[in-house]
Amino acid sequence: MSSRKGQKGAAKVVRQQLARERRRRRTMWVSVTAVAVVLIAGLIGWGVWSSQKSDEFTAPKNTAEGGTGVVVGSGPVTVDIYEDFLCPVCKQFQDTTGGTVDQLISEGRIRAVYHPVAYLNRFSTTEYSTRSSAASGCAADEGKFAEYAKALYQRQPPEGSAGLTDDELIDIGAGVGLNRDDFGSCVRDGTFKAWTEHVTDTASRNNVTGTPTVIIDGQQVDDRSPEGIRAAVEAAGK
Amino acid sequence: MTVTAPRTRALRWPAVRPWLGTAARLGLAAVWLLAGASKVDDLAAAGRAVNAYQVLPYDVATVVGAALPFVELALGVLLLLGLATRLTAGISAALLVIFITGIASAWVRGLAIDCGCFGSGGQLAEGQAPSYLPEILRDLGFLVMAGFLLIWPRTPVSVDGWLTGEPVVEDDDE
Repeated sequence: MSSRKGQKGAAKVVRQQLARERRRRRTMWVSVTAVAVVLIAGLIGWGVWSSQKSDEFTAPKNTAEGGTGVVVGSGPVTVDIYEDFLCPVCKQFQDTTGGTVDQLISEGRIRAVYHPVAYLNRFSTTEYSTRSSAASGCAADEGKFAEYAKALYQRQPPEGSAGLTDDELIDIGAGVGLNRDDFGSCVRDGTFKAWTEHVTDTASRNNVTGTPTVIIDGQQVDDRSPEGIRAAVEAAGK
Repeated sequence: MTVTAPRTRALRWPAVRPWLGTAARLGLAAVWLLAGASKVDDLAAAGRAVNAYQVLPYDVATVVGAALPFVELALGVLLLLGLATRLTAGISAALLVIFITGIASAWVRGLAIDCGCFGSGGQLAEGQAPSYLPEILRDLGFLVMAGFLLIWPRTPVSVDGWLTGEPVVEDDDE
């Protein structure tokens, strides 16, 4: 009796061990699958991003060395302005301090370098930041960046909207005296979209994490009021 | 009367716990799916959000920023299905600890950035105050959910449960 009972017990132990072994193997395969899914997802992200990146770009005329910004003026002090045409605070900066910057340019005190970055593509449904920046590149190519940028701010669309259409961007260009046909095809073909990406990428590489950012002779200026900019330019000129 | 209250609660716990687990699993899945989806349409911006922490070199930050939304989506799908729940919860917890550390370090270093957890990210506009504490508390809440699933990974309505073909019971392997 007792030996039979023992046999039964042993069989049970073996069954349990087999079941445990099956469970262990199943868990292992499920885990391997899950880890593979997560790793592959990461690689897909890397791949998608790499394919989105463009390596070659053509910079518009009138841009700084390396094509990272549009140069206006030729004064001794360099004022780098990083802006996104969709950014409300950039419009505010243009409204309050744009006149002072223009004055400093015409007085021959500064060389302004405008970097129209596309940081806020997520805040329009049509990548307005990229499209408007590329269009400003078209304007820069014809030496009318400053005029065009001002006109863009005057008609700045709200964040979260579709932004202005390409046709509207072209109308604004024609309004500041750009040739409708040439400027129009430049905007439609997205001639300077790769340049916009280069400007944006270089700006973030230089730790410009938001817009607007004003850097005067390498020093970031936090007081972007007319007085603040004047004071910083004067300090840099000494 | 005062004695019965804790006793009924103790009796209920085994019945309630698996469903709490399902809720935690689906909740965490929703968190990852939302976080991933909000970033996946602008991978360059996601890279900038990572770079804004000024922890990783720029080129590494952009790759991390591009990979992360897809990893988050994958974790979300795995949790939604309930496949390899304990492992997925473990990876989730590890990621959340990294995120919390990152936010805390940005706070300590006096950076003024958006955590970029659900899209946006980067430096804040003037006059905008960082909300590091709510961000950290929120992530700690998610960490609790992940911790729950780490301890009790078996939940109803999951592929794990279907694969093992067993009712949700206490088991100490897996």
